[in-house]
Amino acid sequence: MPKILLVEDNEMNRDMLSRRLQRKGYTVVTAHDGEQGHLLAHSECPDIILMDISLPVMDGWEVTRLLKADQTTRHIPIIALTAHALVTDRAKAFEIGCDDYDTKPVEFGRLSEKIENLLVVRKSS
Amino acid sequence: MNLKNLSIKRKLMLITMLTSGVAVVLSSAGFLIYDLISFRHSLSQDLVTQADIIGYNSAAAMAFKDESAATVTLSALQAKEDIVLAVLYTRDGKIFAQYSHPNSPRPSVSLAAEARGYRFEGSYLEVFRDVTLNGEPVGTLFLQSDMRQWNSRAKRYATIFLSFVLISGFFALLVSSKLQKLISGPILHLEDTMRMVSATKSYEVRATKFYGDEIGRLIDGFNTMLAEIQQRDTALHHANDELKTRTLELEGEIVRRKEMQKELLNAKHAAEDANRAKSAFLANMSHELRTPLNAIIGYSEMLEEETHELGKVENVKDLQKIQGAGKHLLSLINDVLDLSKIEAGRMGLHLEAFDITQMIDEMVSTLHPAISKNANTIQVHLANDLGVMRADITKVRQILFNLLSNASKFTDHGTITLDVDKSTEEGKDWIKFRIADTGIGITAKQKANLFQEFTQADVSIARKYGGTGLGLAISYRYVRLMNGRISVESEPAHGSVFTVHIPSRVTADVTEAAQTDKAGGSPAGAAATKSDVDTVLVIDDDSTVRDLMSRFLTRLGFNVVAASSGEEGLRLARQVNPLVVTLDVIMPDCDGWAVLNKLKADPELSKIPVIMVTVVDNESMGFELGASHYLIKPVDRDRLAVLIEKHRAARSSAATDAEVLAPSIRRDPSSKKEKGRLKGTLPRTMN
Repeated sequence: MPKILLVEDNEMNRDMLSRRLQRKGYTVVTAHDGEQGHLLAHSECPDIILMDISLPVMDGWEVTRLLKADQTTRHIPIIALTAHALVTDRAKAFEIGCDDYDTKPVEFGRLSEKIENLLVVRKSS
Repeated sequence: MNLKNLSIKRKLMLITMLTSGVAVVLSSAGFLIYDLISFRHSLSQDLVTQADIIGYNSAAAMAFKDESAATVTLSALQAKEDIVLAVLYTRDGKIFAQYSHPNSPRPSVSLAAEARGYRFEGSYLEVFRDVTLNGEPVGTLFLQSDMRQWNSRAKRYATIFLSFVLISGFFALLVSSKLQKLISGPILHLEDTMRMVSATKSYEVRATKFYGDEIGRLIDGFNTMLAEIQQRDTALHHANDELKTRTLELEGEIVRRKEMQKELLNAKHAAEDANRAKSAFLANMSHELRTPLNAIIGYSEMLEEETHELGKVENVKDLQKIQGAGKHLLSLINDVLDLSKIEAGRMGLHLEAFDITQMIDEMVSTLHPAISKNANTIQVHLANDLGVMRADITKVRQILFNLLSNASKFTDHGTITLDVDKSTEEGKDWIKFRIADTGIGITAKQKANLFQEFTQADVSIARKYGGTGLGLAISYRYVRLMNGRISVESEPAHGSVFTVHIPSRVTADVTEAAQTDKAGGSPAGAAATKSDVDTVLVIDDDSTVRDLMSRFLTRLGFNVVAASSGEEGLRLARQVNPLVVTLDVIMPDCDGWAVLNKLKADPELSKIPVIMVTVVDNESMGFELGASHYLIKPVDRDRLAVLIEKHRAARSSAATDAEVLAPSIRRDPSSKKEKGRLKGTLPRTMN
């Protein structure tokens, strides 16, 4: 059962998303700020990370950068979740090293598909 | 004393007096001198006569040698004071008798031999006369007279003359001083007038004309001149006054303008501040509005799923309604915020190169639910040579999505067609999107207001068919923002055709007018700017590869420089400072890794992004050494183009408001699997 690390500061979003993911069959670990997210990424070794960008303490970009720079966590696919559908964010996401990104409000079906894709890729690599 | 500079008065008087003086002197002198001369003459005649008388009387005495009788006769001369000497001479010249006046005795004078007649000797008149008796000369008589008569007369005359001259001189003075006024008066008056005029600077003064002579005419002339001057002076004063008034007016105007300027500046600042506030507001609202809605939508979705599992169909329906309402509200909010942004002029263009076919494929796949909802079918025809276009991909998506979902909404059991072509007009490349449907069509009245936001018809239609009623207004504005054009053809019940032209290379020379433009605008025609020609350095030992890359990239508007070896590549990189370097790995002498190292080690060149293009699959090495991207041969050209485009956009970001893009694509997405990953943004308006 793939483990998903969800880093999201908004309680409702976190609640909604984790519950739905769980119902889909994933194991979900949550973090409510960037720093915690960073710690959990190391300690939990998730199969995929859903990273909200606007996080307190340390923002999503920073965490992603750190994780992608670190050999031990580099391989974990990261999907950036951003509230703004700006091209800036999309571009930045890829530049920083995200494997994919999605916009909020999260359309669950779309997000699931992206998660699936990345997990499959991961498995095959 | 310089006579020439005497006053007119004195000159005139002097002239008069001199003239009359000369006349008087000359005439009286002449007269008197003539008189004196003729008196002298008569004196001499008198004496001659006297001598004759005495001689006659003395003749007998002389003949008879009677001295005493002769002397007595001579003494009769006593009566005449001025005869001072009388001498009788015998025929042989001896003094016979003589007489001298007792008051003025005189020595006797001897007889000059042939002396006869009269003469003036010294200051005496002398006469010699023959004395004759019965015609026989008996002797000579000599009479000497002094000039006392003449002298006193002369003296008298001199005195008279002088006093006469003086008196007449005096009168001449009087008369001349009176008469000179005839001349000098007017002249002096003129002089006074002139002095007064220049002292008081008042030009209405006039000199009085005295007489109608030359001076009178002079005065006339002077007066005319004054009149002229007065006129000009008045005119000058008027002009001056006017000038003063105008200057004051102008100054007042300037002050007013300056104040207005200040006010305008303030207003501008206020407007700018308001604008900034508006933008901040929009940005904040955007987030604030969406957050709770996400919760509504998300939870209701979740509940729907859970309830569905529990089999409570009724509840599922209710939850779906909540969801539907939430989603509708979200799209309304999105649309309203979009429009607000556009109206506020805050909607920017985020230009980038993207593959048209890919974008359409992705978008169409998200449309399937909407299409199948009304049992419609969709047909997509894309031209083969579409390639890459440079525009705001989000907006293009939104436009197409809006038009296609509209087509689907207003069509039932029909066909929706999407045709995409390339065309060239006036030397510029355009991408043409044609969306046709076999739906209910649009009436003429609706067509008129089609691209305006919220008209009455829109509201009822929105309620009936769904949607916000703002989609077309936004699409229209987006098209205009990108300097494109949009048009519609439709007949009620015969479907509709929307045609959108967008420049294949959109530039951001956008004006406020384009943003807040109302429906019916004409295409601005995008200028395909070749100004930002950037250079791509291609390093590959294979000449075919170099050639192909070169041709391909040049076609896209890049300037391509090719190197066949690492050394050459490094040298060219330093010379040219390219935008991007494409680097092959397998090369003789210096392989790609070494070149990459060198590139990143050189401070001048390290900033240049390097795209590894190679058959070798050693991605991690590439990234470790600092490559920006790693593409596996055979290269997906479009992908490469997109990458390079993004760098170019980033480099000229200031001008075009493009965003920084440097996606690190880990693998060449030639496999379909990978394609899915790169979907990126999807349209927000989903209903």
